[in-house]
Amino acid sequence: MRRIGHTIVWLLVVADLALLAWIFVTSLRDTQSIFNEPFGLPVPPQGGNWAKAWADGGFSGAAINSVGVAAVSSLVAVALAAPAAYALARRRTRTSNALTMTFALGLGVPGQVLLVPLFVGLAAVELTDSFIGLTVVYIGLAMPFTVYLLTGFFAGIPVVLEEAAAIDGASGLRAFVKVVLPVARGGLITAFLLQFIGAWNETLFAIALMTSDDKITLPVALVNFVGLQQYAGRDWGTMFAGICIILAPMVALFSWLGTRIIQGMTVGIGK
Amino acid sequence: MAVTSTAAPRRARAARGGPLERQASRLFWPFVGPALAFYALLFLAPIAYAAWTSLYKWDGMGAMQWRGLGNYQTLLDDQAFHYAVTNTVKILVVGGVATFAISFLLTLALREMAGKMFARSVLFFPCLVNALVFGIAAGFLFGPTGPVNKMLNLLGIDAVPKWLSIDNLPAMIIATIVWTATGYYTTIIMAAVDQIPTYLYEAAELEGANAWQRFRHVTLPLSWEVVSVCAVLWTVSSVKVFEIVLLFGGGATVSSAPIQTWTTAMYVYYSAFPGSSVPKLGLAAAAAVVSLIMVGVFVLILRRMMRRERVSL
Repeated sequence: MRRIGHTIVWLLVVADLALLAWIFVTSLRDTQSIFNEPFGLPVPPQGGNWAKAWADGGFSGAAINSVGVAAVSSLVAVALAAPAAYALARRRTRTSNALTMTFALGLGVPGQVLLVPLFVGLAAVELTDSFIGLTVVYIGLAMPFTVYLLTGFFAGIPVVLEEAAAIDGASGLRAFVKVVLPVARGGLITAFLLQFIGAWNETLFAIALMTSDDKITLPVALVNFVGLQQYAGRDWGTMFAGICIILAPMVALFSWLGTRIIQGMTVGIGK
Repeated sequence: MAVTSTAAPRRARAARGGPLERQASRLFWPFVGPALAFYALLFLAPIAYAAWTSLYKWDGMGAMQWRGLGNYQTLLDDQAFHYAVTNTVKILVVGGVATFAISFLLTLALREMAGKMFARSVLFFPCLVNALVFGIAAGFLFGPTGPVNKMLNLLGIDAVPKWLSIDNLPAMIIATIVWTATGYYTTIIMAAVDQIPTYLYEAAELEGANAWQRFRHVTLPLSWEVVSVCAVLWTVSSVKVFEIVLLFGGGATVSSAPIQTWTTAMYVYYSAFPGSSVPKLGLAAAAAVVSLIMVGVFVLILRRMMRRERVSL
């Protein structure tokens, strides 16, 4: 019984890894040979797909846009959420509890509810098809989760720290910046990472708001590329190279900071 | 000394108004304000605006025409919206039951397994991947001459199912979602199950409980709270499903994804951004409001169904 269980788990693990490996291997093969033999090896490996995806497929510009939008929006989101979460965690009044609840309720709102209003609102101030517009949307979308995550995190930091700082004559703001934030570094990095991952993969708003070819992010580039193939003929090699460009940073981040990512996404749910 | 003892109740300290408390209260609004402003402007106001827009007929350019509940009436009569709601509910219920059943099985299998952390990490990874990728990959793997069919042929099975026929697509999409989501929920449930002290299992075993009974009377009640939070998370995430449908099976645009596979998010997107025809922003907003109500209703039902006496250790 136990042995069957373990075998199944390992089969699933191997299947997941095989899928990743297959995507990577296929990105090194030319389209005709993929068509003839989907499971073949790249003999010889074709770096050409990657070069083509990077240069002609529009993935290079999109990759840079994705990095920019994801990094800036995550940074600002954490910078806004951290003081708010700290204040909410430390002050337990009726207003504070109500606000904590209001932020948490946002977790239950599916993105499509905000789609039309945000599009109309951004169009009114001419921020559709603009990096600023998309970044601002991502900051807004990040608020509920980031505040929720960091509130839990700050609540776990002992008050003694600020008390000691206060005795030493530090103001509240100074104690927050000099004493609390350094201690909270781990939580802030986690919040940034999770928001970065979220923004990197976000598709609905990116596809709705960004229309110019030079402003799209990676998921939109992939959707457009697949759409183009219907007219321009299939080019699976390049498409798989594009998929790899979306996957690569996630694989890298996860291998490097996997424990932190897993903890951030799962710890706190049990509380 | 109230100042140095963390055990003192916060409320009492607030009433006494120590210097730290006064400081905290002075900083409260400057600290919370900016985040709250962003949240109100980009979250709360848009929800109200969506509800208001849903009462009008509007193409986004011309004047808004009052329709009252007309848009909701249109949704009731629209076949595409029926598919969207049915698929979303199927993902939520069928996909949810499957995901949680598999997650529990995996959790049990992973207990005391060598290499457990590595296996868990690999199974977790898919939830960091844009679901567009899985949609495309599934189209390849299950295509008529794709690897899955070739393998089945090699095994001597010639009557291969038409995986990507329109009738089968919704089931395929649900299966893919379950595949990619189980790792995440397994990780959460595993963390909860790991907290259960082993002596409880030993005691149950001594009393003669078999594996199922140990699961039913020890594991399940003691991880119930986490499961009920997960159920709420699952509800929200299944009403959001969008990317995976967009390109599943090689479709390329929203209009080319067959309406039989649509979810409520797809319906909202397609009504607001139909490409070549006139945008129906009012209708899109109405569909969005319905999806929000769906989350609310399902969360209420779940909370009611899953309410149990709190078991604490």
